[in-house]
Parts: sequence; C-alpha cells; structure tokens
Amino acid sequence: MAKNLPVVPTAKAGSLAEVPAGITWRIQQPVILETCNMCLDCTLFCPDGALVQQNSKIVLKLNLCKGCGICANECKENAIQMIPEYSGVQGVFR
Amino acid sequence: MALSIADLPKEDLFGPGHAGCGGCGAAVAGRQAMKALGSRTIVTIPASCMATLGGSNLKTTWQSPFYHTLFEMAPAVSSGIRAALEAQGIEDVNVVSWAGDAGTADIGFQSLTGAAERNEHMIHVCYDNEMYMNTGGQTGSQTPMYAITSNMTKGKTIKKKNMLAIMEAHGIDYVASASIAYPLDLIAKFKKAIEKPGFSYIHILAPCHRGWQIPPEKTIEFARLAVESGLFELYEVEDGNRTRNYEPPFIPVENYLLPQGRFKNLTQEAIQGIQTSVNKHYGRGE
Repeated sequence: MAKNLPVVPTAKAGSLAEVPAGITWRIQQPVILETCNMCLDCTLFCPDGALVQQNSKIVLKLNLCKGCGICANECKENAIQMIPEYSGVQGVFR
Repeated sequence: MALSIADLPKEDLFGPGHAGCGGCGAAVAGRQAMKALGSRTIVTIPASCMATLGGSNLKTTWQSPFYHTLFEMAPAVSSGIRAALEAQGIEDVNVVSWAGDAGTADIGFQSLTGAAERNEHMIHVCYDNEMYMNTGGQTGSQTPMYAITSNMTKGKTIKKKNMLAIMEAHGIDYVASASIAYPLDLIAKFKKAIEKPGFSYIHILAPCHRGWQIPPEKTIEFARLAVESGLFELYEVEDGNRTRNYEPPFIPVENYLLPQGRFKNLTQEAIQGIQTSVNKHYGRGE
C-alpha cells in the first residue's frame, strides 16, 4: 500500500492562487470572441492557467490573468482580443 | 497513439497565481509538464526562477510536493528521495529534478552527471532560457554566441554548450529536447520518460522575454521560431536510437535572431555563419 505523499508542510497547496499578486500588473485583458473553435491551444499556452475549458467553451479566470497577451498572439482563429484594462480620458477602471 | 488536448487532465498542478512575470516561459513549461507527470510527483528545484515563482514557504502554487534544494544538488536530492521511496516500497511516484540552465549545465552539473552515471530512476528537466535570469540575466554556458547579457554587453564570444549531446553520451535511458511551442510533443516526451526505469533528461527551450528583450506576448512565438529555423532541434534518443520529432521548414535564422533585442549587434557575417552551421548540422549523417 502506497502512503499518501506529504504536502509542503508550511504552505497550503495552491494557496498562491487565492490572493494572486501578479494581476495588479495587468494593463490589458483578453476577451474571447464567438469565432472560437475550441482548439484548446490557449489553455496550454497560458502561463497562469487563466483560460480553462468549461462546458464546451473557454472561460477566462480574471483573478489569475496577468494580461501578457500570449493567448491573443497564439490564437489561430484570432478569436481572442486584448482590450485595455483602463479606458476613457480619466482612466476609468473597466 | 496521438495525444489530444481534450484528453489531458483539466486541473493545474502548477501555475495558477504563480509569482512570475506575465508571459513567463518557465511557467508554461511547468504547467505543460505537470499535465503529464500528475499529482503523484515529487519535484526538487534548485535556485532558479522556477523556485521563486513556485512560492515562498508561506504560500505556494504547487499542488504536489516540491522541495527547494541548494543550487548545486537537485539531482542528488532527487536520488535520495528515490532511495527513500524505494526503502518504503512506494513505487508509483515520479521523482523529478527541475533546474534552469545554470542548475543543469554549470553549477548543478556535478550532481547531474553523478545521478546520470548511477542511472537513478528519475527525470531531470532543464528549462533553458539561455541566461541566468533569476539573478539579472548574466551569461551562462547555455547562452548562445553573440547574445547580449547584463555582464557581456557586446555579446558572448563563445558557443553554446551542447547539453543534450553531453547527456546522450552518459548512455542514459532517455534524452529528449522539447519546446513550449509544441505542448503535445512535450507532454508525450514526459509520458515516455515516466515509463523508463532509469535516468531521463529533458531539455526544454523556455524563452524569457525579459532577457531576450522581446514583447511578453511573443514568448511562445519565439520558442516556435527557434525550432522552425533549425536552431533548436526537437529530437529524442531512446535506447541509442535518435529520432527527430519535427522536421523544421528552415525559415531563415535572421527571422528568429534579429527581432530579439539581445541580438541587436549581430553583423551580416555572423548571421551567415549561424545559417551555415545550421545547414551543416542538419546535413550531418544523411
């Protein structure tokens, strides 16, 4: 019988995802368009695991996205667009 | 049997909330590799970006056990973990040492070559960003010729060490090169390495947009261009048989080199020299 593996003793596994620091750096965020053909490439190319497949569509987890733009650059169907995080003359938070 | 992305596990064992830069190539490599390795994996990481972006002792992004070793000893620690697992009779655990190019080719080389000589049952992964990026982008033995780094501002004057050939010469069970731009190829290679009873070495090209001076969204694109231009060959060596996994279309090397800020001092003669060496390499033995 194999024993259960120990988890990192001082830190709960995956606890960085609860309060991600990197999202405050974001200056642009992806928007997934209708033309997405579910090739799922972006789910493997995203460094942060922010794009996940849920019930036959791609869902963006905005609390993980750092806005690097890899998904928009790699999408073969051009179904992901980057939009600025702030808009308007006074920089209104979207 | 071809892999498809839909069949891969949905959960992320590494990645969400990591502390790396936006567009980090090492994080992409880690995420893709953990899809193949699974939750019953113990990872040892020496000093590298991968150690810092995995979290401090209070918070972590890993869902599997990981151990932050000293710089020069990740494969040695992994050997010890494997010995302990064997002593306890635990067999279904993958032991991985995950080092950067310094922890593999330079500082960590003595423990790596020792573990490879003993043919320990483990996988060593080198994620190669061709610089010492965690300490500010210094030159290492994996830095390509002519690349500008923070301590060689006119470009490196000597060639990149061929780490894959060195590991191949150890006669270990499995040697493979992989690129984050070809995730299914990378995952398939990890799945192969898991099955091996001895030492496996996987060398992943994971660009660092800060060091290479490229826009963050082009990280994957440059990993692909490196393969397509023929400068980074995707191949595996299994029981002494060398197989090329991807036949590159051989785009001109300048399409890969010139857009990078670190090669801004490249002369036409240097580009010609690199192109000639690529052509010569692929003509080898054919």
